[in-house]
Amino acid sequence: MKTIVTTLLVSALASSTLFGANATINALKVADDLSTISYASALWNKATFAPVVLYPQTTIRMNDKTANELNADNPAKKAMVAAVYNDHSIAFMIRWPDATINVQKGERTTSYADGFAVQFASHFSDPNALPYIGMGSEGRPVVVYLQKVAKDIYEPNGNGDVALQVNRNQTDLFGKALQAFDDEVASLGNSDYERSFISEGFRSMTEIKDGSNNSNARIRYMKRNKGWEGTLTRALRDEYVNLDAPVIPVAFAVWDGEKMGRDGLKHLSAWVAVTLQGKSGGEALIHALEGTLVGDPKAGERAIAANGCVGCHQITSKDAPNLMGPSLVNIGGYSTAGYLKESLLKPSAVIVPGYNRNAHPAYPWYTLNNGKRVSSMTDFSWLDEKTQNDIVAYLQTLKAEVK
Amino acid sequence: MSKRQLAMVMDLNKCIGCQTCTVACKTQWTNRNGREYMYWNNVETYPGTGYPKNWMDLGGGFDAAGDLQPGVIPNLEADYGVPWDYNYDALAGGASFEPNVEPTWGPNWDEDEGDGVFPQDNYFFYLPRICNHCTNPGCLSACPRDAIFKREEDGVVLVDLDRCQGYRYCIAGCPYKKIYFNPKISKSEKCILCFPRVEQGLPPACAQQCVGRIRFVGFLDDEESQVYKLVHKYKVALGLRSDYGTQPNVYYVPPTESPVKFDAEGKIIEGSDRIPVEELEKLFGPEVHDAIKTLKSEMKKRKETGESELMDLLIAYQHADMFRLDNTYYQKVAKEKGLNPLAPVDTRYIAGKYTKTGHSINFTHGAGSTAGGHH
Repeated sequence: MKTIVTTLLVSALASSTLFGANATINALKVADDLSTISYASALWNKATFAPVVLYPQTTIRMNDKTANELNADNPAKKAMVAAVYNDHSIAFMIRWPDATINVQKGERTTSYADGFAVQFASHFSDPNALPYIGMGSEGRPVVVYLQKVAKDIYEPNGNGDVALQVNRNQTDLFGKALQAFDDEVASLGNSDYERSFISEGFRSMTEIKDGSNNSNARIRYMKRNKGWEGTLTRALRDEYVNLDAPVIPVAFAVWDGEKMGRDGLKHLSAWVAVTLQGKSGGEALIHALEGTLVGDPKAGERAIAANGCVGCHQITSKDAPNLMGPSLVNIGGYSTAGYLKESLLKPSAVIVPGYNRNAHPAYPWYTLNNGKRVSSMTDFSWLDEKTQNDIVAYLQTLKAEVK
Repeated sequence: MSKRQLAMVMDLNKCIGCQTCTVACKTQWTNRNGREYMYWNNVETYPGTGYPKNWMDLGGGFDAAGDLQPGVIPNLEADYGVPWDYNYDALAGGASFEPNVEPTWGPNWDEDEGDGVFPQDNYFFYLPRICNHCTNPGCLSACPRDAIFKREEDGVVLVDLDRCQGYRYCIAGCPYKKIYFNPKISKSEKCILCFPRVEQGLPPACAQQCVGRIRFVGFLDDEESQVYKLVHKYKVALGLRSDYGTQPNVYYVPPTESPVKFDAEGKIIEGSDRIPVEELEKLFGPEVHDAIKTLKSEMKKRKETGESELMDLLIAYQHADMFRLDNTYYQKVAKEKGLNPLAPVDTRYIAGKYTKTGHSINFTHGAGSTAGGHH
């Protein structure tokens, strides 16, 4: 019996490497000024690109029927990411495949944009208690930088330009004066969509609007490679996050406008380890992000069946969608082993808020106890440790394939 | 659920489909900046396609278990209609009168078509629609950003334009399709129940301008209010498609007064009613039967005795008799919250907030914008 278990363990380990957690991204230390770095910079030729797999977000099902049909069969995507840094800034480049260019236009109600986001954890000293991948969690904030391909977006009010917000037909202007009015209105449009957010969970995301975000994100389409190329530069240290460490956790997300992607309809990576060249340490974080718990996925699958998890969770895409709990169809793609184990033992530690509680009054994912969210899931700390690890090992196999 | 709830009652027997409410709303709120296609208030002919096209089939709302249902986001070209204008300026130069876009669809496209066979049993009635300021709003439940909120003091449902990221799930979630995406600012916008007017004790523009005097406005918990009496006391005002589960707060007095039908020889069929009660039941639920019964019996009572509180209410001898608003209440709320009592709750929509002198502009070529008179 012991030999069998050992064999199983070995195969489990082998298969988890095969499923391929993301490779570490090595940020190259450079002396150049990074504050204005763009995709055109020659610096990117020196940097090493590492693969990062982006999985379709399926934890929460959005309520857009057309978009859900478009995204019903969504494979994972493989992006290539490189990073460079100096004493003040850190910059990332992400390249991902996308066959179509989708621009959010200012005159259509149903156009959606391609775009990307880069997410940083505000605190990562405890590698096993990183913020939830989906925009952080209570007490574990993240900073998110978003860039979308948009055409002339007009921010409402706030700039003292109310006089330019009247209908042109209701001005008393004509001829050249009206043309000048139109030109002045047009000049207010902004096609740089870049936004920065701070977030402690799916619904709490709040835009940083006071100019303290210190970032620059750009995006361009590479016709030859049929894909987008996005760059983000931000300060190495600011009031939101200190990235001056040997290893930092970073996560990436991309949206496909062709499939009506926006918000939760996206592809996202797990936390990826980024090492800063020339700094040593941080092995615990690398291990937490790339190591797998030693467990037997087959036994985990049986344990999941035996414990009735499917009663609340959709486990594989063959199961009917279940509104009771988060869907686990791609959970292995964008979660760390540490997060999965934490959720199994302490379900209330991170609660995916999903829709507004009002949206599912019959099946609340959580209840409120003195303002604190308490998960509706029972904790499974009573399971023996082997079973716990088996379950986590199985959950790590749940993810879409790259096509 | 908010502490208090503002409500509107619309008496469909009195609506003449003149669209004055639509224009009052449009000129006040939606004639500019990406809102041109939006009708926060529209009057559609029922039966008909409605606005946006076939909105009742586009999903949203809640099922019996209380779960938000997926919905479809209408398309500007096909479902709302692209607004068009004419080349008035070019006419002086001898050009022919042309629209700037080919009109293929728009609100009220099928006005007065209705259903049935003329002249035997054709029928239609007008259905004015605004946001229902629901007690359980589908838009609010669908928003992944907590950008939609229901005001505690009066239950008005608003979009926080700072938080809104333009994801449009609210549109899918609203079964009435009464929240719209503004592509120019990339945010969702909707009927605000003219809260800046209501806070001053004035009824919403659509209600104030209503030629047929069909709209009552007041607080549902105020037993002296007309809306309380129509909704709770007499139960003759009913929510539209309450089966969507959002608990709408705009109520309708169903159209009870329709002409009789004719038979094949053109003779009157005594006691017949052109508007099929099944259609009313579909819109207003099974309670519509009791409502019709009450309305008929009160009308009879009024004819016989000359007295009926309900009929007096519905007749509304003075327009002011249709509204019971309370600006001192809002001033109290403002005081409690430490806000400016002139704009006690929300200053974002106050026109001219950033204009220094007046509300319209006089633009001189190259010299920037200054204030001037156009009113």
